[in-house]
Amino acid sequence: MLRIHPIMAWLLFPLTMALVAVPALAGTEKSPHLARAVMCESLADYVPHRVAVVFPIEVGRIFCYTEFDSVPAKTFVYHKWFRRDQLVTTKRLVLKPPRWSSYSSIQLREADKGPWRVEITDRKGAVVKVLRFSVTD
Amino acid sequence: MLATDYLIASLRWQDLVDIILNSYILFRLYVLFRGTQVIRVVIGVGFLWILQGISRQLGLIVTSWVLQGIIALAALIIIIVFRNEIRRVIQAKNLKVLLWGWPQHGDLTPAGVIVESVYELARRRIGALIVLPSQDDLTDLVQGGVTWGGRLTKQMLISIFWPGNPVHDGAALVRNGYIERVGAILPLSNREDLPQRYGTRHRAALGLSESSDALVIVVSEERGDVTVAKDGRLHEIPDNLALNRHIRYHCQPVAGLDSSGRRQSIRLAAAALVCLLFVTGIWFRFARGLETLTTVEVPIEYMNRDQKVEILDTSVNRAVLHLTGSRALIKSLEAGQVKVLLDLSKAVVGTNTFSITADNVVLPPGIRLTRIEPAKVKVTVDRIVTKSLPIQVDWVGRLPNNLVLKKVSLHPEKAVVVGPSRVLASLSTVYTEKINLANINSSGRLSAGLVIAPATVKLAADSSSKVTIEYWLTERGG
Repeated sequence: MLRIHPIMAWLLFPLTMALVAVPALAGTEKSPHLARAVMCESLADYVPHRVAVVFPIEVGRIFCYTEFDSVPAKTFVYHKWFRRDQLVTTKRLVLKPPRWSSYSSIQLREADKGPWRVEITDRKGAVVKVLRFSVTD
Repeated sequence: MLATDYLIASLRWQDLVDIILNSYILFRLYVLFRGTQVIRVVIGVGFLWILQGISRQLGLIVTSWVLQGIIALAALIIIIVFRNEIRRVIQAKNLKVLLWGWPQHGDLTPAGVIVESVYELARRRIGALIVLPSQDDLTDLVQGGVTWGGRLTKQMLISIFWPGNPVHDGAALVRNGYIERVGAILPLSNREDLPQRYGTRHRAALGLSESSDALVIVVSEERGDVTVAKDGRLHEIPDNLALNRHIRYHCQPVAGLDSSGRRQSIRLAAAALVCLLFVTGIWFRFARGLETLTTVEVPIEYMNRDQKVEILDTSVNRAVLHLTGSRALIKSLEAGQVKVLLDLSKAVVGTNTFSITADNVVLPPGIRLTRIEPAKVKVTVDRIVTKSLPIQVDWVGRLPNNLVLKKVSLHPEKAVVVGPSRVLASLSTVYTEKINLANINSSGRLSAGLVIAPATVKLAADSSSKVTIEYWLTERGG
């Protein structure tokens, strides 16, 4: 019969607990919940203005606004901007508990006309939401 | 030896037909015109042609030119001078005679009657000139006279040449047992070397025999001698048997195999062989004699492709082939005759490199391949897969300044496309055709087609090529 010395038992206990706890924590880790994601022409006090799916080039700058109403822990998300399936830019945005709103933007140029999309992905790259819009004359 | 082997190996069935057909045409021409002056002149022209070829090979430029001119002129002269003979052949009573029959050139004139008449006239010292025409047309050679049309008899012939008869000085034309014409005037020979004993009748007989294949019998008024003129020569006839032999030889059917016997058969077989050799020689000279080089650019055809894969890209689509062969064969090359076929049965997904060898090239017989460019071709193939992609509207133009396009809803939201896996991996959206915002001033619905690109990608059979777009406009705020 296997017998463990009490001192050894005290040394092994934290390690055993750690090994048991890590998978448990991983299984219960919560992702931030995306409450709202819109494209807009401007933002004022973290409130999107002139939400649209088509933006004239003369607007000059457009914003991708994302609002997370449940952020369990400090994390980050990505805003990936594509023009006709070509990745133009990736913005990394930090999220902090308990709620967080964040945005990214791009400056429009004449050559930016056409269909766009912004993929909102979590820290692991999983796509949370895709916003589709166009930049026109 | 190798060249001969190559020539024989490269013979096409068309070449054999070409040679045999032309040999037969030449042989038929010989059969139809044999015995006439035409065939002799044509043989003469043939020799001139051979001489011209030799002189050209030897580099005798002027001689070659002169002979070429003479041949061209001779061809024209043959047609003009022998128009009657040519017309007679062309106007054959039936096609059989023209194409495969044996024309009967024999004369049914009874030789015995003529022999008896001639020697009776000779015995009585009555001058006579009797023409036995053969195949040559004498219309242009024999002038004047009176058309007779009477059956040939001894009494008739004697009475025609009886002194005091108005037509006794002319010649009598005898054909097929009938006296066609009497009192006819024959062309006189210009020869200076005729013996003194020969008079005008002899000169006339010789003149016609020089210009035609007719046999002319002359009875001397002064000496009672009998002379025969044939082929430009005068023959003294010693007795009636000799005259009979001359007439029979002249009048016998010259081409009938049934009646001409073994000698005729051998002669025709020899003629057929000569025709075959002659045409073969000409064919080889023209068709295979002059080697030439050419370059052709042909599309590469890909065969035996697995239906589950698609060709995405090739390093080249056309191959340049350097070919050699006779000028005639090279000139007759047609687009579909030369092919480059590449077997894709062993192609794997990804980029494959194939060597283009002579085994991949299809050429007509007689044409040889010397070089291929490029020697290798890269072919990229990919497996065909299906993918569902979101649809996005491709807006263009400009909305009125007071309006904002706030929301869009699509039905269906996705399209299913089929295409090579590597191409589809880079595709994440299917766009609609361009929709002009200038035409929109209120919320509504419209239908638009989908733009599927690149060309290797296609919509799945069960996927709609149209999408319904519902859109909402709002007033632009301040």
